[in-house]
Amino acid sequence: MKTLAIDTSLGTSVAVLNDDQLLAELNFADNMSHAERIGDAIKDCLAKAKLKPVGIDRVVIGLGPGPFTGLRVGIAAAKFFAIGANAELVGVCSLDAIAYDYFSSGQSGMLLVETDARRKEHFWAVYEGLNQGVPIRLKGPNVAKPELIERTGLTLTDITVTAAALGKIAFHQGPSVIREIEPIYLREPDVSLSKGKKVSG
Amino acid sequence: MIIREATIQDLPGIMAIEASCFINDAWSEEVMLSELQAPHTFYVVTVIDSEIVGYGGLSKLGQSKQADIQTIAVALDQRGKGIGKAIMKALTAKAVELGASEIFLEVRADNQVAQKLYEVFGFKKIGIRKKYYQPDGVDAFVMQTNLVRKEPLVLGIESSCDETGIGIVRGNTLLANVISSSMDKHAIFGGVVPEVAARAHLEALNPVLNEALDKAQVSLDEIDAIAVTNGPGLAGALMVGIGAAKALAVATGKPLYAVNHLVGHVAADILANGKVETPTIALLVSGGHTSLLLVRDLLSDVTLLGETIDDAAGEAFDKVARVLGLSYPGGPEIDKAALGGNPNAIRFPRGLSLPKDMAEHRYDFSFSGLKTAVARHVELAEINNEEINIADVAASFREAVVDVLITKAISACKEHGVNRLLLGGGVVANARLREVATERCAVEGIELRIPPFSLCTDNGAMIAVLGAQLISAGALPSDLDFSADSTLDVRKVQS
Repeated sequence: MKTLAIDTSLGTSVAVLNDDQLLAELNFADNMSHAERIGDAIKDCLAKAKLKPVGIDRVVIGLGPGPFTGLRVGIAAAKFFAIGANAELVGVCSLDAIAYDYFSSGQSGMLLVETDARRKEHFWAVYEGLNQGVPIRLKGPNVAKPELIERTGLTLTDITVTAAALGKIAFHQGPSVIREIEPIYLREPDVSLSKGKKVSG
Repeated sequence: MIIREATIQDLPGIMAIEASCFINDAWSEEVMLSELQAPHTFYVVTVIDSEIVGYGGLSKLGQSKQADIQTIAVALDQRGKGIGKAIMKALTAKAVELGASEIFLEVRADNQVAQKLYEVFGFKKIGIRKKYYQPDGVDAFVMQTNLVRKEPLVLGIESSCDETGIGIVRGNTLLANVISSSMDKHAIFGGVVPEVAARAHLEALNPVLNEALDKAQVSLDEIDAIAVTNGPGLAGALMVGIGAAKALAVATGKPLYAVNHLVGHVAADILANGKVETPTIALLVSGGHTSLLLVRDLLSDVTLLGETIDDAAGEAFDKVARVLGLSYPGGPEIDKAALGGNPNAIRFPRGLSLPKDMAEHRYDFSFSGLKTAVARHVELAEINNEEINIADVAASFREAVVDVLITKAISACKEHGVNRLLLGGGVVANARLREVATERCAVEGIELRIPPFSLCTDNGAMIAVLGAQLISAGALPSDLDFSADSTLDVRKVQS
């Protein structure tokens, strides 16, 4: 199965895979230019993999959690790429990619993944290894103030989410893959009802 | 850089470049002169500091659907400045204008720079003429491109505020205009919340696209190009449409045009009227914008005369509605409340209308003071235990907004000698605005254009038709790396 995987939960990451074999990937660490990069990143990654868009069977999108504005750019792109290329669309929790890359490099034990959720909070999830290529998530994803997150085992904070890992996870998930594409926001829009203020003293 | 049609007076300048560019196979002066004079040819020259730095020619015979690029050359010391591209653009636009459906050309097999340039314009190699260039004995590649029809089928995507819009047009004809509004989700907050709007855009993308394709009875394969709003607007909202549009363009291989939202509002009149009559003054009034534009040419000459320096007019309606205990959106609520009210009961201020303000802000607007004046009026009445006549307050407030909008728009018409006024934006739904505009334009002898409401509010069809205009004028697609620009300059029609 030819797969295009996209993640914009941190930087911009695009990968093209055949089943779980990586054919090409492009990763941009900066977390401010998703909208600028996404078009060329997909186009260039397909070219690198020597595949045409119609050759893609499946689009895998990182559902977050991550800063909302950037996260949405990738999900919007994945939705319309899938329609345009007539491919199926599936989603994977972006934090799972970090756990996948960690455990598949031979590490083991408990793992706490933490990423910046802005406003002095962190997104987090706890893992304990892989089950047939799929990260075993014990807790999360969730959002909390860092001091309230229970730290067990190793904590990974300096990390990147690779679209390649998301593509592989989706492949290993088989029929249990997520088909409902809902961003993992974990937080309501930052808005409160104004009480209105007096203008005359 | 100026590009204009060549005359025989340009012959010496052209020949100087011809001789230096085509060492062994330059045309003679006689050949060049007959080319310039022939009835079926069209030559342009590029001029920098009154010196000819490049030229190119097109040939198209009578009713033929085929045009040929005869020659194109750029002075050796002027290359790499986009001059060749500009000449190609002019020749391509002329070919479209002359009714050609394809263009052919020959290029030296060893001239890769030129081949690259032609590829940018969609030319593909379709054949070889062996040893075509003599005496060098170099082969020619024959290249050909299909010109986009004069009525391109364009899909437009709009997500700059709280409306997810996808429209499909064929040339000037509206095929579909689907809008999903998140207005209800903002109601409890009394105004558009950017994060709420952006979330709603992402949810609406697929259903809106599918419905638009369905209504237009076209498939994505048939679409010639995609257009998307890249500003001005809410950055996070714009980025949803941009991300989707870029991926759709890559997936389908269609060209993508990033276009200006405000100019899109002006272009909407094409769908109602067949064209935008220019010059025109355009007054765009919505919850996000209050802008007065001078449009001399839709694609190349749009000037911002003025805009609000604080709240947009629609925002003022929303805020005053809250002061009066009315719901969101404020425009229709205030319209209802104003029924039977006396518009002259309370003299609310007309922002930036005093002589001292007019010096600096002749065509700018300000509604923040007006909103405060209404709030103060209501509070004072409460303090004094007086009954407020809501109908009078609503009618007087509305009159102040409408008065200042139309007064400034009409002075812009008169002071620029422009006899047309075009209205756009969601606040055009306000009955009193249309009424006053109609009355005063009639008095002043100004032609008033108000497109149907579905084209005045934010929508994808206006973005699609602006894209179609750009394509018909020979504009190249946007590069894929354009960004969302929340304060995009109105002069930048395409990014």
